[in-house]
Amino acid sequence: MGCGAMMKSVMEVLLLLMLFFTAHAKEKSYSPPEKPTQTRCRSPEKETFTCWWEPGSDGGLPTTYALYYRKENSETVYECPDYHTAGENSCFFNKNDTSIWVNYNISVVATNALGRAFSDPVDIDVVYIVEPNPPEKLTVAVMEDKGWPFLLVSWEPPHKADTRSGWITLIYELRVRLEEEEDDWEMHHAGQQKMFNIFSLRSGGEYLVEVRCKPDHGFWSEWSSTSYVKVPDYFHREKSMWILVAVFSAFIFLILTWLLHMNSHSLKHCILPPVPGPKIKGFDNKLLKNGNSDEIFSALVVPNFPPASSSKYEEMLVEYLEVYVPEEPELMLEESKDLLDGCHKSENSRSDSDSGRGSCDSHTLLMDKCGETKEEERQTNRESSLMETQGWKEEAINHDTSGKVKTWPSVYSPLPQYGSNPLDKQSSLETAKQHSLSTSPFLTQPGTKDALGPSYTDFCLSNKENHLHPQTLAHRELQTRSDVNISNIGCKRSSATEYVEVQRVNKEDMVLLQPVVSRCGHIEGFPNLPKGEDYSKVKGVDCDNRLLLQREGTGEDVCPCVDQETNGEGGNCYTSSTVSTTQKPTACMYTAMPLQEETALTLNGYVDTATMGNLPSC
Amino acid sequence: MALKKTDSSKLLMAVCSSVPISDLLDRASQGSDKLHALSTIISQDLNSHFPPIGQVIMPRPSMCHTSSLQTPSDKQQTLQVSESDLLSLARSLLQAWSDPLLMGPAAQTISLLPFSGGNDIGQDRISQLINFNFLLSCFRRDSHKIDSFLKVLRCRATKAQPQMC
Repeated sequence: MGCGAMMKSVMEVLLLLMLFFTAHAKEKSYSPPEKPTQTRCRSPEKETFTCWWEPGSDGGLPTTYALYYRKENSETVYECPDYHTAGENSCFFNKNDTSIWVNYNISVVATNALGRAFSDPVDIDVVYIVEPNPPEKLTVAVMEDKGWPFLLVSWEPPHKADTRSGWITLIYELRVRLEEEEDDWEMHHAGQQKMFNIFSLRSGGEYLVEVRCKPDHGFWSEWSSTSYVKVPDYFHREKSMWILVAVFSAFIFLILTWLLHMNSHSLKHCILPPVPGPKIKGFDNKLLKNGNSDEIFSALVVPNFPPASSSKYEEMLVEYLEVYVPEEPELMLEESKDLLDGCHKSENSRSDSDSGRGSCDSHTLLMDKCGETKEEERQTNRESSLMETQGWKEEAINHDTSGKVKTWPSVYSPLPQYGSNPLDKQSSLETAKQHSLSTSPFLTQPGTKDALGPSYTDFCLSNKENHLHPQTLAHRELQTRSDVNISNIGCKRSSATEYVEVQRVNKEDMVLLQPVVSRCGHIEGFPNLPKGEDYSKVKGVDCDNRLLLQREGTGEDVCPCVDQETNGEGGNCYTSSTVSTTQKPTACMYTAMPLQEETALTLNGYVDTATMGNLPSC
Repeated sequence: MALKKTDSSKLLMAVCSSVPISDLLDRASQGSDKLHALSTIISQDLNSHFPPIGQVIMPRPSMCHTSSLQTPSDKQQTLQVSESDLLSLARSLLQAWSDPLLMGPAAQTISLLPFSGGNDIGQDRISQLINFNFLLSCFRRDSHKIDSFLKVLRCRATKAQPQMC
C-alpha cells in the first residue's frame, strides 16, 4: 500500500508543476486592433480604381480588415468586392462597381477578437484620382540630319488607357542623360505626341532615355523602363577642321609676336607715356639745395606788381560819362572829369544816387533808344501831349547829333499825385535814366511843391566845352515849335539852351511839355512857382560860365540857364537879363537844389558844393 | 455660308470659309481644360483654409443645382451617348453655370449679400464660406464633365488625325 500512495502524490505534484509552468508560459496581453489608415486610392484609366490602407497594430490577435463604402446618393453601405486583385491591404473596384462623377465615402474597419477599429472616412471622386501606367514600347534610334546625328524616340501609351476614344487625354514627358553622368537628366516636354527628336549629341556617347505620361487632370505616371542607345563617333569630321584652325591661329600669333617685338619701343612709348617732372619757371633746384633762400625766391617775384603808382587810380574813377553824338544814331561816349554829382538834386529822395554811370555808359542802349524813338516822335499826334519823356529825351539827343552829350543820372522821380493817372513810374523812369540827354533841352517838373511831393523830375544837361558843333548854336527849331508838338521835332540839332517844362501828365502817362515861353517866373498852367528852399535863382553868371545863385527866393526871375558849351563865345548863355528879352522860348530849369551858400553852378547847371568858395574873380 | 440682305434688296452672300469641326472642338476643349484646371486650383486653395471638421458638414454634392441634369456615370454610358446629345449636355451645363444663383434650391442656401454685420458674425461667415465651398465643388465637377464630353467629341471628329486622340 505504501507504493500506491507515494505514486499518487508524485503525480499530483507533477500535475501541479505542469499547471504552474503552463500558466507562466502565457504572459502576452491582448487588445483590440489599432485604427487602420487609408493611404490612397488610384484609378489607372478612369474605369476602375483601387484603394490601399495601412493597418495599425493588430493587438496580438488575428485581425481582419474590411472596407465599406457608400455612394453619394444612397445610404446603402457596400463592402469591398475584391480584396485580392490589387494585393494585400487593398480593395479593387472593377468596372461594374465604379461610377464616375460620384462621390465615394470609404472607410476601413479592423476587427479582432477583442474589438474593432474604424479608419477615418475618405471622400473620393474617381475622375480626380487618375494615375495612368507608364508609357510602353519605348524605342530610341540614331538618325542623321545633314551629317549630324540625333535621337528619334518613340513610345506608346499604356495599353489600359483608352486614348483612342478620347476618354483619356495623355501628355508625355521624357528625360535623357549620358550614362556616365548620373542624376543629370535633360527633360523634354512632348505634349500629346508620341515621338520626339533629341539633338546636340556627344559623339560616341551612351544615352539613357525614359518617358512618362499624365492625364489632362491627374497625376504623373512612373517613369517607363530605360532605353539605352549609343551614338556613333563622328569626331573625325571635326578633327581636320580643328587642326586647320589651330595651325592658322598659331601662325597669326607668331606674326603678331614678331610685330610686337619690332615695335616694342614705340609701343611702350605710346601706351606708357613718360610722366613729365614738375618744374617751376625760374626756379633752380640746385639753388634750393644750396640753401640760399633769397636768391631762390627772387626768381619767383614778378616785377612791377602790384603797381606802385597811384596816378592811375584817379584815372580809374569815372565820375560821369560824356556822350558824343556825331551822327544819328551814332553816339560816342567819353569820360569826363567833370563832376557828375554836381548835377544831383540832393533833395530828391528818389534819385539814383550812384550817378547812373552804368546806365549812362550804355552806348548801345542809347543808340537803340534814339533810333526807335525817332519814329515814335514823328507819329505822335498833334495834341499838346508829348511823347513820353524818354522819347523826348531821345529826340533831344538827336538834335544835338554833333555835339557831345553829357550824361548823368537822371534825377528822376515818380509823380504819384500827378493828374488822375500816375506815371508809369518804374518803366518810364528806368528807361529815362538810361537815356542820355541832349545838352540843350531841359525838362522840368512844374507844378506846385505839393503836387510834386517829395520828388521832382528833372533833367540835367550840360555841355562840355568845345564839344559842341557850331551848328548847334543856331537851332531854335525846338523853340519855334513853341508849346505844341515838340514831338514833331525830329532828331534835329537844337540849341543847347532850349528849355521846356512839364506842363502836366496826361492820361496816357505822357508828360506834356511846353517850352518856357515867357520868363521863367511865369509858366502857364502853374499857379505858383516853387520858391524858396526848393529853387534857387541865378544871380548871375561869372566868367567861368558858372551861375551864381541868389540866396533868397525873391529877386529877379531868372531862368537859370545851363551854359552851353560853345566855343567860348557864350552865345547861348543867357543871363538873367537876356532871358527876359529874348523871344525865344526857353525852358527853365528849376533846380531843386536847396538854397545853399553862395554856390556856383557848375557847367552842367548843378550847384557844386565842392566848389564852394571858388567864386570866380575875373 | 450665310445670306444677308441689304437695304437695297441686293443679296449679299457672306461666305465663310468652312472651319473644320475638329479645329472648333479642339479650341473648345482647350478652353474647357483651362476652366477645369482653374476650378481645381481654387477649390484646393479654399479647402486648405478649412479645418477638417468643416469638410464633414459640407452639403452633399447631390444637392448641386445641376444634379437634375442626367449625365452618364461611366465610360460605357458616355461613349454610347450620341454626339449631339453630348454636345447639348455640355451646353446645358455651361448655361447652368452662367448664372448659378438663379437656379435650383441650392441657390437659396447661398447668400451672397454683403456681410452687414450683426450679432452672429461668426455663424454667418462660416456658413457663407461653407456654401461657397460647396458651390465651388459643384462647379469643379461640372467643369470636368464639360471637358470630358468635349474631348470625346474632339476625338470622334478627328478620324484623319489620330495624333489628336
